Amino acid sequence: MKQAVILAAGEGQRLRPFTVNKPKVMLSIAGKPILQYVVESLAQNSIRHIVLIVGYRKEQVFDYIGSGQQFGVDITYITQEKQLGTAHALAQAKAITENEFLVLSGDNLIEPDAIAQFVAIKPNAMLVKRVDNPARYGAVTIDNGMVKNIVEKPKEAKSNIINTGIYAFTKEILSFIEPELDIPDALNNMLAQGYPVTAVETDGTWLDVIYPWDILTLNDAVIRQIPASLGGTIETGVSLKGLLSVGKDTVVRSNSYIVGPVVIGNSCDMGPNVCILPATSIGNNVVISPFTEIKNSVIGDDVNIGPGCIIQESVVDKGCVIEGHFTACSGQAEVKVDDEYHLVNVGAMLSEGCRLGNSVVAQPGVIVGNYSQVSALKLISGRLPDRSLVV
Amino acid sequence: MCGIVGYIGERQAQPILLNCLGRLEYRGYDSCGIAVLSSGIEVYKDAIRVEALAKVAPQLGGTVGVGHTRWATHGEPSQLNAHPHCDCSGNIAVVHNGVVTNSQSLKKQLTSEGHNFVSETDTEAIPHLIEKYYDGNLEEAVEAALRDVDGSYAIIVLAAGEPRLVAARKDSPLIIGIGDRENFIASDVPAILDYTNRVIYLEDGDIGVITKDNIKVRRNGTEVDRKEHEILWSIEDAQKGGYEHFMLKEIHEQPRVIRDTLGEWVSIGEPAVDLAVMMRTGLEALLLLACGTSYHAALIGKYIVEELVGIPVRVELASEFNYSGQTLVKTGAIVITQSGETADTLKAVKRLKEVGCQVLAITNVVGSTASRIADQTVYTRAGPEICVAATKSFIAQLMVLYWLVMSYSKAEARRLASLLTELRHLPSKVQQVLDNEDTILECANYLSRYENMLFIGRGINFPVALEGALKLKEISYIHAEGYAAGELKHGPFALLGGDTPVVAILAHDNTYEAMLTNIKEVKARKSPLVALAEEGDEAIGELADFVITVPRVDAIFSPVVNSVALQLLAYYIAKQRDCPIDFPRNLAKSVTVE
Repeated sequence: MKQAVILAAGEGQRLRPFTVNKPKVMLSIAGKPILQYVVESLAQNSIRHIVLIVGYRKEQVFDYIGSGQQFGVDITYITQEKQLGTAHALAQAKAITENEFLVLSGDNLIEPDAIAQFVAIKPNAMLVKRVDNPARYGAVTIDNGMVKNIVEKPKEAKSNIINTGIYAFTKEILSFIEPELDIPDALNNMLAQGYPVTAVETDGTWLDVIYPWDILTLNDAVIRQIPASLGGTIETGVSLKGLLSVGKDTVVRSNSYIVGPVVIGNSCDMGPNVCILPATSIGNNVVISPFTEIKNSVIGDDVNIGPGCIIQESVVDKGCVIEGHFTACSGQAEVKVDDEYHLVNVGAMLSEGCRLGNSVVAQPGVIVGNYSQVSALKLISGRLPDRSLVV
Repeated sequence: MCGIVGYIGERQAQPILLNCLGRLEYRGYDSCGIAVLSSGIEVYKDAIRVEALAKVAPQLGGTVGVGHTRWATHGEPSQLNAHPHCDCSGNIAVVHNGVVTNSQSLKKQLTSEGHNFVSETDTEAIPHLIEKYYDGNLEEAVEAALRDVDGSYAIIVLAAGEPRLVAARKDSPLIIGIGDRENFIASDVPAILDYTNRVIYLEDGDIGVITKDNIKVRRNGTEVDRKEHEILWSIEDAQKGGYEHFMLKEIHEQPRVIRDTLGEWVSIGEPAVDLAVMMRTGLEALLLLACGTSYHAALIGKYIVEELVGIPVRVELASEFNYSGQTLVKTGAIVITQSGETADTLKAVKRLKEVGCQVLAITNVVGSTASRIADQTVYTRAGPEICVAATKSFIAQLMVLYWLVMSYSKAEARRLASLLTELRHLPSKVQQVLDNEDTILECANYLSRYENMLFIGRGINFPVALEGALKLKEISYIHAEGYAAGELKHGPFALLGGDTPVVAILAHDNTYEAMLTNIKEVKARKSPLVALAEEGDEAIGELADFVITVPRVDAIFSPVVNSVALQLLAYYIAKQRDCPIDFPRNLAKSVTVE
């Protein structure tokens, strides 16, 4: 197998407001977008011809991945103008697919070992994985190592083996696609016509983001595998413990206390006297002012966090400005997404460009829409739409 | 401008030369050609694109060769005028970038000596001169020939029976790329990045003799040592990576460009230049010099310096400065040039240096001529810019100006601190403009049917209007003019009407009320009005036919977000009109002739 098709066109609607300005594949986990994990895993398994199907906010993908040269791969882009489903996305690549190719979804984070054996498999085949809660996925029935059928989001799952969305196909799959919109539908058609599809199980890292708080779970899961590096300037009196990655041009000022695993990007200005605890990822060009504690959170690029804040299990997306004494403590919360309630342990989830005045307190589970503004001394909770004004 | 390349090594020269020429396309050209050394010299050239030449050219076998992209100055674009040019025997081939100013008299003399000229170019004199002096030593013949040549040149010479290339430069850029048992010569770095990132910069008056495993540089007859530099740009930076055009790619890179400058700022603190030297006389006046888009950056620089440092600033077009006999500023000057090779700007720098003026250069190209002749240099962190229309280099120039000015500002600490916080935010504000692409696209579709357009602004956004108009005219071929809003009444009012839309650039500073008045005046003349306004500006919604909102920033940074919005507007208008956006007709990336 030499070629892989990565599907990266989707928005990820359940992740709104975090996907209003970027596709799901570009959500940043431990300092890099999910898509980069997929590309790097392929490169490490010597698959260097990659077709990227892009659509929603595709410029973000172009800007980050480019021609693929820096990841040691050769990328051809294909645009899926309307996001009509995964099979339709794959059909866009018809003209340039080789006889055998892999298909992967760009929004599932995978580690290289998860596909190490699979890349050598003879198509057609599907990579499957055992999970605790198969209800969110396509449950796969397997008999003697062969796929029997796939049931999408089963009410009562007959097996806890799910479809990872990673396949090895021959060109034949393309002839089953036309009337169908998703790959599992096309596959079921194929199975019905008696084509054999091998099931290969993996116990490697394969992770999915469905809801905003999954960003934290994923971050926690992979941040331990980052390579340690110490760029920038570390002033005297800084305590550094555990696994750390600090980018170039970043300054960590005196008396700061950082306990890894922690990833800090380039050009950040941290401290003096800040406390960064596991497992936190901080983007590029972030300012964190004195006496702030950040724990198990994901902070995006260009964020400015004022003095004396407590930020736990929170997501703060690109370009937020948070003034002093912001409190976002973690706690159990019922969060509503698409009329479903989810019980999760989480702090605050702020999307891009929010401005918070002094001493704002966030209730656990609050989701704040893009470019919202909150005046000083407010208590925020629930779900605030984009461009909300809390005065 | 013209681009030249040379290859010598063990591989077939033709595909390498064509690839290098392809990488030089961004400089702008109308014809191209190659010459390869086999038993004799074989030349293939025409007034076509490199891609077309690659298709129609026969296989020229040989491992030594030269190539050229021509941007016509002397003689129309045609097969005869395309380079390489040969002597009478066809045994010497030359590619040239620059202008031979005494070509007429040389041609007359050489013709009387029996040489036969076939083209209208100034270049052709060079191979004939070399032929005249050649007696078996190519290097000496080139040196002798160049003694007769006035003007500017970067040349590569190829001669039958000589397994080497001879290169020379004066006032035109030329670099040598060092490979493994092969070497390269080119006008600039992107041409050879596919093969090597080790380069030597030739200086004015240098003559280089290059074989496949040796590089010798001579100057006035004695051998000199030229340092090897490692280029940190990758070829990745010079590829489109999914984008339809380099321009769109470069527009989208701007948040990162700003972030990179900020990173340097945070880690270094003050810029690594000694502005104090320039301020030794109290710097009672500062001169800013540039051409084209860089000139607009300089105009914005004037407002920044005057507001934050409080000294008067004079801004001059380098191309005009060289032709005025006025009193020269002797204290300090900042010159801004993306390529570092702009002929007019370099000439101005030399002139200023002669009277003892301290010159600081802001340029994007490490090792460029500007960086070598100025007293001090600050590099912009834009990476290679391929599209002829400048975008990210402009924003990077503004960032360097902010950095310089804020480092030496005498403004209140409180004001500076709040500006610094705002600056940190600029990358995501610019990203917000980019994320608003759909609105801009819609506005572009609306404007693309017009043939004339006016851009108006006041204060620090007046240069933004100039830049917005320049971007539009250079890539969409729509006639556009930038005007100070208050000046409309002094003439351009006569142009207003239903078929001349006006793009008004607003900022929430002391110009805002006056701008609203101007906009009302424009509306009263029935011109379609597009306003670029901050989010939350309700007054403008009622006045304008179309509003593009940009995020709110301190007025001093408004040129950054406004310019990015206007870049996208120009891009989408040009796209709607099917223009060759990256390589507009008649234009060249770096203007290396006066």
